[in-house]
Amino acid sequence: MHRRGVGAGAIAKKKLAEAKYKERGTVLAEDQLLQMSKQLEMFKTNLEEFASKHKQEIRKNPQFRVQFQDMCATIGVDPLASGKGFWSEMLGVGDFYYELGVQIIEVCLALKHHNGGLITLAELHQHVLKGRGKLAQDVSQDDIIRAIKKLKVLGNGFGIIPVGGSYLVQSVPAELNMDHTVVLQLAEKKGFVTVNEIKSSLNWETERAKHVLEHLLKEGLAWIDSQAQGEAQYWLPALFTALYAQQINMDENGGPS
Amino acid sequence: MGFEWPWQYNFPPFFTLQPNVDTRQKQLSAWSSLVLSYCRHNKLYTMNLMEIQESPLFNNKKIQRKLSLESVQVVLEELKKKGNLEWIDKNKSRFLIMWRRPDEWGKVIYQWVSKNGMTNSVFTLYELISGDDTEGEEFHGLDEAMLLRSLEALQQEHKAEIILLNDSRGVKFF
Repeated sequence: MHRRGVGAGAIAKKKLAEAKYKERGTVLAEDQLLQMSKQLEMFKTNLEEFASKHKQEIRKNPQFRVQFQDMCATIGVDPLASGKGFWSEMLGVGDFYYELGVQIIEVCLALKHHNGGLITLAELHQHVLKGRGKLAQDVSQDDIIRAIKKLKVLGNGFGIIPVGGSYLVQSVPAELNMDHTVVLQLAEKKGFVTVNEIKSSLNWETERAKHVLEHLLKEGLAWIDSQAQGEAQYWLPALFTALYAQQINMDENGGPS
Repeated sequence: MGFEWPWQYNFPPFFTLQPNVDTRQKQLSAWSSLVLSYCRHNKLYTMNLMEIQESPLFNNKKIQRKLSLESVQVVLEELKKKGNLEWIDKNKSRFLIMWRRPDEWGKVIYQWVSKNGMTNSVFTLYELISGDDTEGEEFHGLDEAMLLRSLEALQQEHKAEIILLNDSRGVKFF
């Protein structure tokens, strides 16, 4: 059996070997890093090339835009991040979303008196399209959400609340916590909720349900109907107008009413 | 031609006076403009409280909601505050609804007069609201009390003078 190296000589030898390994390791890591940044660089260059080549489609086609945004996100590029810089200059997308943001604010302000500052994404989308006219480039709901996220820079005024399969857009700085959001979601189908519905669906105490509804009334987001059979109903104009529009369409098209 | 109801008319809580001050303000202003456009569409000038509460205006049978008498009174008071309503009797059961204020009516009438080159002519009140010449004009069929107020408004602007013709009243435009 080979005798294990002991003593000063052996230790020095071992240290040398370790140092060599380390050195080699660093070189390898550096290589890898270099390789990776080269790849990333290439991807970026390609993306830039792609962007300039398909500038028109990106500007015009909302679906194309979504996919492009996703591609950018995977490498940490945010084409909307600033008004300056390569991306927005190249594509003009920065301007596009700023412009859209202003239009969104206009629509929300104009409708605030009737919905208290809460609107479904679909309705907002419709109004924005109407306001832009036929000649302007098409805008998707995804674009609107992106534009709203940009608006958050301006403060807490704007928010997006997921309800069911869709979203509610909030344009007033009302304090809404999880409880409120859950109740809004519950109201989505019919446009209203009651204390008992909340109690049975969410297993809440009466007090908790009442508290949330009172808050929605106080913020001007809900209206109370005390002529309903049984118990008072709390209505959300934002949700009602969407349902009402559907109802009218059905009546006009001779569908089931 | 059918009357086009605003969306609120089918919104059940619209028929319950709202506790939140801001919301109530929105509600009252929506009610005010609904009352005015309804009366305008149906050419209503004087009404009484009970009658209007039972009318489709405050009573939506389709969704089975009705504005209570007290709430109707609140809406009417709001209209009074805006200058669109005047009580005729002391216990506030009859009122004059002015979907155009007297001075606005005055302008409409004066426009018609000057367009037809009839300044410096004399009209009886009857001619103005029931005569053949004004057929198809908006003020045709206007309530006489309302007409008198509009002419008084014009008189203040020195555009008309109300005169006595035999035993009825007339007006001369300038």
